[in-house]
Order: sequence, then structure tokens, then C-alpha cells
Amino acid sequence: MEHYLRSAAIAILLLLVQTTFMPFVALGGILPDLFILWLVYIAVRRGQIEAMLTGFGAGLLQDVVSTKFFGLAVLSKTVSSFAAGYFFNENTAEQTLGSYRYLSIVGLCSLLHNLIYFVIFLQGTEGPWLSSLVILCLSTTLYTVVVSVIPMFAFSQKFSTSWAQ
Amino acid sequence: MIRRIYDVLFLFKEYVLLATLVLLSIGMIALNDNVQVRRIRTVATVAFGVVEDRLSFIPTYFGLRSENALLRRINVSLADEASQLREEKLENIRLRQLLGLKQRSSYPLTAAEIVSKNLTLLRNTLTLDAGRLDGIEPLMPVVGDGGLVGLVTDVSDHFSVVNILWNTDFRVSAKIQRSRVDGIVAWDGRTLALRNVAKTRDVVPGDVVLSSEYSSSFPPDIRIGIVSDVQIQEGALFKTVTVMPTVDFVKLEEVFVMDYLPDEERSDLEQEAKQKTGK
Repeated sequence: MEHYLRSAAIAILLLLVQTTFMPFVALGGILPDLFILWLVYIAVRRGQIEAMLTGFGAGLLQDVVSTKFFGLAVLSKTVSSFAAGYFFNENTAEQTLGSYRYLSIVGLCSLLHNLIYFVIFLQGTEGPWLSSLVILCLSTTLYTVVVSVIPMFAFSQKFSTSWAQ
Repeated sequence: MIRRIYDVLFLFKEYVLLATLVLLSIGMIALNDNVQVRRIRTVATVAFGVVEDRLSFIPTYFGLRSENALLRRINVSLADEASQLREEKLENIRLRQLLGLKQRSSYPLTAAEIVSKNLTLLRNTLTLDAGRLDGIEPLMPVVGDGGLVGLVTDVSDHFSVVNILWNTDFRVSAKIQRSRVDGIVAWDGRTLALRNVAKTRDVVPGDVVLSSEYSSSFPPDIRIGIVSDVQIQEGALFKTVTVMPTVDFVKLEEVFVMDYLPDEERSDLEQEAKQKTGK
């Protein structure tokens, strides 16, 4: 129970940060997705099922707040969490989180998430659809990967300290 | 069985959960009514239509058997209906002809349908579905669209029996329409003939035979038949005149009974004269 409450609290906190503070660090309207960082962490440490459920909940929370396109974030985050769950390994979870592998997993999941999100989101829009898709997908993914360096270093520090002990 | 399903579901629990959550999210997306969803609906409808068109042969193939069975049933029903319609068409033609006869006749006619026929005996008869309650009485003449059919012999409330031309007991006084030659039409069990025609009389094949004024049972000028053959035998006094009846007894289905009875006074007088001469 405590575990679920903690997850819910983290989700709400991330949502607050994403909606309140992230717009200040936007580059040309592109924001990093903090939820991806958290979902990859859950997937690598706890497995596919928990990651999917967390992704579903996080996406739901995001959609309820945004009121733009209800269900889209739910879909994209669920699928990307499932993909991240393939990298689950109890024995090497800490090494994965504290290394470049975490960055690559975040990049992969972020790309998948953005692909699903923008393919649907850009439907019916005027202008060059494909180029908009590529630009939005790649730029958001890149920005998210760059931001994921911070937690990677944090995990690296945390886990190397615990190994040392 | 359920245990096995559960085991399979548990084995692929991640995929089952993914599928469930994806379906839920797609359901949520479908609830939206914005430009993107409308566009997706359009694309999905077109794509589904193309796939359905390509695969339409599959249900068609499996549906062929039931379609065939249905078509066979419809075919039988239509054939039956067509047969009925043909039958009714022919009946319509016959009744129109009978109606024409009825209009030409100077005697009231009662229509009747033949419910039974004997055409293979020496004393052939018809049974009609009209009787005493319809105004039919014994000795009334019976005619069809071709001409003379016979004479009513027995009557009940709803039915009557008719002696037809092909009956060895049947006789009718007749004449040749063209040459006015008289004779008696009778059937000997094989052929219908005009009897008592002298060798010198003018009768040729093709002549029309009518009932004559001398007949006490039938009104005059009812068509009986056509002369089909005339033979003169060596040493005989009379010609052998074969008559083809104008009524086709095989196809006959409806007739009229003429409201005509022999004159009683004449009948009584002729009967008395017979008795006196001992004939």
C-alpha cells in the first residue's frame, strides 16, 4: 500500500513539475518528458507489468490535466513502458540505471512514445505532416535524453556508494 | 479447460495486460471528437473497406451452400407458382370461350365442372359438380366450347351423370350442315359415325355435322363434329361416315348444361305411336 501511495505521490509531483516548471526550460516549444525518465526507472527496476500500470496511470493523469486529447498520453506511455520493461534485469538493474544504458533506454522509449503521440496528434493538421513529425519526435527525444543525464549521474553516485559499502 | 486458459493467460500476462491497457486507451481516444480522431476514423473506414472487399470472397464461399439451398427452395416455389399461373391462363382461355358460347346460346346455361370421367369403357360418362339444387334435371343436353358433349341421365342434389358421345347408348339426330343430309350419330365402341346415310347422298370429309331439328332430346344446330372419312362398301345400302367430335373429351374440364327438356306432349305421342306399331 505504501508503495502505491509513494508512486502516486511521485506521479503528482512529476506532473506539477512538468506543467509548471518545464515550460520555462522549453526550447522552441519543445519540452522534455520527465515521466519517461521515471517510467524507465520503474521498468528497469521492477519489470514490465509494474511499468505498464505506472505508465497507464501517469498517462491518465497527464490527459486529465491537459484536456487536449484524452487517452493519447495513456496509449503512448503504456506502450513505451512496455518497451522499457524488456530491459528489466534484477541483477543488473543498478548498473543499467547508473550507466549510458539508461540514456539509451530513455532515448528508445522516448522515441517510441513521441512517435505514437505525434503520429496521432498531427492527424488532420495542415502543412507538411512528415517533416513536422520527424522534427517534433527527434527534438523531444533528444531533449529528454539530455535531461536524463541528471538522474543517471544521481543513480551512478547512489549505487556506487552502496557498492562501496 | 478454464485452468488451461488461465495458465496461458498467466504465461503471457505482460502481453495480456498490454493488450487490455491499449484497448482501454484506444477507447478513451475514440471518445474524443476532434480533428485528429475524425481523420483517423476516415482512414480506418477506408482501410477496413479495402480489406473487407479483398476478403469478401470468404463469407461468400461459405455462404454458397445456404444460398444454394435457399435458391433451390425459391426455385421450386416459383416453378409451382408458374405452373399454377399457366394453368389459370389456360382456364381463363377456356372460360372465355365458354362465355362466348353462353352468350350465343338461346337457352339458359348452367356452368359445371367435371369431377369424374370414364373414357375407356363402352358406356362412357362424365360426372358434374352441379345437381338438382342447381336446376339440373335428367335429359338436359350438355355442351362444351367445341359443341355437343352428351345428355344428363342421373341427377342428385349436387352431382349429375352425363352420357357422352362416346357411349354406346347415346344417339342424336344429326344433319350435314352443307348438304342437309340427315342421319343418326352413334358410337359403336370404336368410332363415332353418322348412320343411315344413303349411298347417293352428298357427304364428303370436312363437312360439319350438327344436331337436327328432328331430335327430341337436343335443340337444333348444336355442333357435333366434322366428317373425317366417307366409305362406300360393295353391296351396302349406306355410306360409312366417320365423324370426329369437335369436343376433346380428354382435355374437357368445364361444360354447360342447357336448360332444355324434350317437349312432353311430343314425347308422349311418339311413345304411344311406337307402342301401337310394336317397334
